[in-house]
Amino acid sequence: MLDWLPENVSVFGEGVDHLFTLIYYISVAIFILVNVIYVAFIIRYRRKRKGDRAYYYHGNNLLEFSWTALPFVLFLFLAFYSDGIWESIKYSDKTPNPDLVVEVMGQTYMWHFRYPGSDGIFGRREARFMGTTNPFGIDPDDPNGKDDYTTINNLTIPVNKTVLVHLSSMDVIHSFFLPNMRVKQDAVPGQWVDVWFNSVKTGKYEIACAELCGSGHYLMRAVLEVKSQSAFDGWLDEQYGGLLAALNAPSAVPATAPAAQDQSAPAASPTH
Amino acid sequence: MEAVLSTEKHALAGGHAHSESFIRHYIFSTDHKMIAKQFMFTAIFFLFIGGAFALFIRWQLAYPGQPIPLIGKLLPSTWVNGQGAVTAEWYTQLLTMHGTIMIFAVIIPLLVGTFGNFAIPLMIGADDMAFPFLNMVSFWLFPLAGIIMMSGFFMEGGMAAAGWTSYPPLSAIASTGQTLWIVALFLIGFSSILGGVNYITTILNMRAPGMKMFDMPMTVWAVFITAIIITIGTPVLASALSMLFMDNFLSTSFFMPAHLTVATRDMSRTAGGGQPLLWQHLFWFYSHPAVYIMILPGMGVVSDVLATFSRKPLYGYKAMVFAIIAIAFLGIIVWGHHMFQSGMNPLLGTTFMVSTMVIAVPSAIKTFNWLGTMWRGKMEFVTPMLNAVAFVSMFVIGGLSGIFMASTPVDVFIHDTYFIVGHIHYVLFGGSLFAIFAGLHYWFPKMSGRMYNERLGKLHFWITFISFNCTFFPMHILGIGGMMRRIYDPTVYDFLKPFQPMNEFITISAIVLGFAQFILVYNLLHSWFYGKKAKRNPWRANTLEWQAPSPPPHGNFDTELRVYRGPYEYSSPDSVQDYLPQTVSPEELQEQNERHRQRLAQQEHAQPVA
Ligand code: HEM
Ligand SMILES: [Cu+2]
Ligand SMILES: [Cu+2]
Repeated sequence: MLDWLPENVSVFGEGVDHLFTLIYYISVAIFILVNVIYVAFIIRYRRKRKGDRAYYYHGNNLLEFSWTALPFVLFLFLAFYSDGIWESIKYSDKTPNPDLVVEVMGQTYMWHFRYPGSDGIFGRREARFMGTTNPFGIDPDDPNGKDDYTTINNLTIPVNKTVLVHLSSMDVIHSFFLPNMRVKQDAVPGQWVDVWFNSVKTGKYEIACAELCGSGHYLMRAVLEVKSQSAFDGWLDEQYGGLLAALNAPSAVPATAPAAQDQSAPAASPTH
Repeated sequence: MEAVLSTEKHALAGGHAHSESFIRHYIFSTDHKMIAKQFMFTAIFFLFIGGAFALFIRWQLAYPGQPIPLIGKLLPSTWVNGQGAVTAEWYTQLLTMHGTIMIFAVIIPLLVGTFGNFAIPLMIGADDMAFPFLNMVSFWLFPLAGIIMMSGFFMEGGMAAAGWTSYPPLSAIASTGQTLWIVALFLIGFSSILGGVNYITTILNMRAPGMKMFDMPMTVWAVFITAIIITIGTPVLASALSMLFMDNFLSTSFFMPAHLTVATRDMSRTAGGGQPLLWQHLFWFYSHPAVYIMILPGMGVVSDVLATFSRKPLYGYKAMVFAIIAIAFLGIIVWGHHMFQSGMNPLLGTTFMVSTMVIAVPSAIKTFNWLGTMWRGKMEFVTPMLNAVAFVSMFVIGGLSGIFMASTPVDVFIHDTYFIVGHIHYVLFGGSLFAIFAGLHYWFPKMSGRMYNERLGKLHFWITFISFNCTFFPMHILGIGGMMRRIYDPTVYDFLKPFQPMNEFITISAIVLGFAQFILVYNLLHSWFYGKKAKRNPWRANTLEWQAPSPPPHGNFDTELRVYRGPYEYSSPDSVQDYLPQTVSPEELQEQNERHRQRLAQQEHAQPVA
């Protein structure tokens, strides 16, 4: 049954899948055990004749104790085993040093992604600046924000590198779901949450929204592109270069970031 | 004296007063049995509404964008598009109303409203509930709430569409239908609390002489503990609903952060500073215990049915009682397992995982004790027993899938996928609803005074059992494949396209499952009027309700009751018969045994001649 899992390409996903498999086998074993006994009882202990009498018996304390203790030990073991993996994925003090930091903002019904730009620094953001033209709420007066690069529904990352995502939402709750990375994290408005992952394989994968966010919930799909480091660098240079060119061009209208294949939102006002 | 009075009343009622007594008897009744029937018929009505919604949902998932067969063209244009296919807006309303109706208008009213009302006074030997008037109010709030909730159909924007969990901000910036949903749930909660207080008082104060707490059948124990959970949990839901109502209506900010970008609503009056996660904590503080409200009474019914038809004492009666108490207690401290991916501190994920794993233990205890009950029994597979046996097996699957989700790292992947939908339905349909089917057939003779049709009962069981598994088991696989719940069209995603044949299979099974329920209704309705007349104790059961006439008159019992023993003395060596009712005194027992022996002896004499 676990063959149906989408291909895992993340590093910690392997641990998760192992745990999944372990619980799966334990469950199947328990299920078979209980149901074999069950069916055997159903076949064996039917009333066949009138006047048949059942065995008059109220229970046995030793048995009660053992079928309390055994599941207790088993389930606690599963809890502690799971917790090791959980901590390594989720606890902030166990997050590895990121090679790339990206901000992700959910909006009904799309995903915005923000890269820090060629200066490597995100512009300051504040909730009061947030709006449809400025989904991240980048402070227009902060020079670091001028070159921040944003895309819609396309996240491009380098392979074998730890990517740290700061995640939030600008309207309702969404959930950032990367099936192949074994990542899912709710994006909650008014709150930033960190998620990290690490892809071991290049390719195109899908990003979905997993929390009901309105009738267009099912459309909230984005693409995750995992590129080799050199391809990623090339891609980034291209985006950043285009953005800088637009920034430096003397123009009164807000520049649109020359995005690859997607319609990018204007990253910041171009006035120098 | 009393007799005189009542004949006088009858004489007076003879003329014009007849319609009034009809209203008192059938509509604003304070008799617990009539109220139980009212709950039952209203809930079964809602079962079909909720079921129809589910089939619309399933149609869309299997055949996205294709017109609904036969009736698609007849539906209003706010629901379907020009071709007669479900729209995304209506789809979202459907899934919200399906969940809400099934939980609050079907399962809870059937388990708590129907069985609680019908069985509690009868099983403890009381003539009615402690507060008959409250009981009546408790019922009438329920259809009222149902009408309010459904009236969203006629409002602009339709019914509520934020899921049965209604997470804000989505639910706080919603249409009128959402406000109606909030008001309706508030009323249903009120109804629950009235019922809960009533059950607790009745069980504590009105047991027949001689009946100790540990002489109570499991159904009574289960409803008792359930009632306690209801009275603890529901006020928290009520407070959360009040806040959500104000966020929606008065632009308060209990759950609303500042500076949301919302196109559909003017947010300038919303100050912000609220926390969306607060709702989730409050909601699940009620709704996790609520899932036990929806299973504990079922467990009680199943325990009684299994013991009766295994002709054996319930295995580990006290362990069963303590397991229920443990579930109720632990159930209050596991709500966070619904929030592992919500953005709450992952440290809390760890603690809630541990408590959730621990709560699986009493569930395991109950399962083993049910097996123990059947061990060396003499089982009779009539319809109630078939449904109860199915319950145990389905509950095992639901419990085991719970373990996957309790394991936080695994839950990262399966949270908000069809795996959860599979889990819910194995516990709520495979569990609660099969227990309800068991109970409906088990008490049908007492309720109606007639027997249901055994062949139809079995037919209904087998079709339901098979199509249930075909419908819901594959959902686990969809979840493993990553299919998100509550999506309108899975084919938008490349990684979900391979699952379309499975979605079609599920939908076909679901249609069979839905239509099989007409067998149940036909059987119940037809037998209610034309069934074979039922004896007092057709199942040869021990508990008190079977000492009353079928159906019991107003005031229930025609004999003085005294309880001498526990409810599960089946196949006791003390009795010649294989059952020993709670009310039979030791002297009566001797006489009975004597009579029985003589009869047996006579039969043996008679046989060779014949
Ligand atoms: C062994 C016992 C059980 C365990 C360990 C367990 C565990 C869980 C967990 C961890 C979740 C949250 C999953 C997620 O959203 O990611 C969940 C969801 C749920 N459970 Fe259980 N569960 C158990 C029994 C039950 C029972 C007996 C019922 C009801 C009769 C029930 C009804 C539900 C429902 C309705 C949800 C989904 C709520 C929603 O998100 O819509 N569970 N369960
Ligand atoms: Cu969404
Ligand atoms: Cu729960």
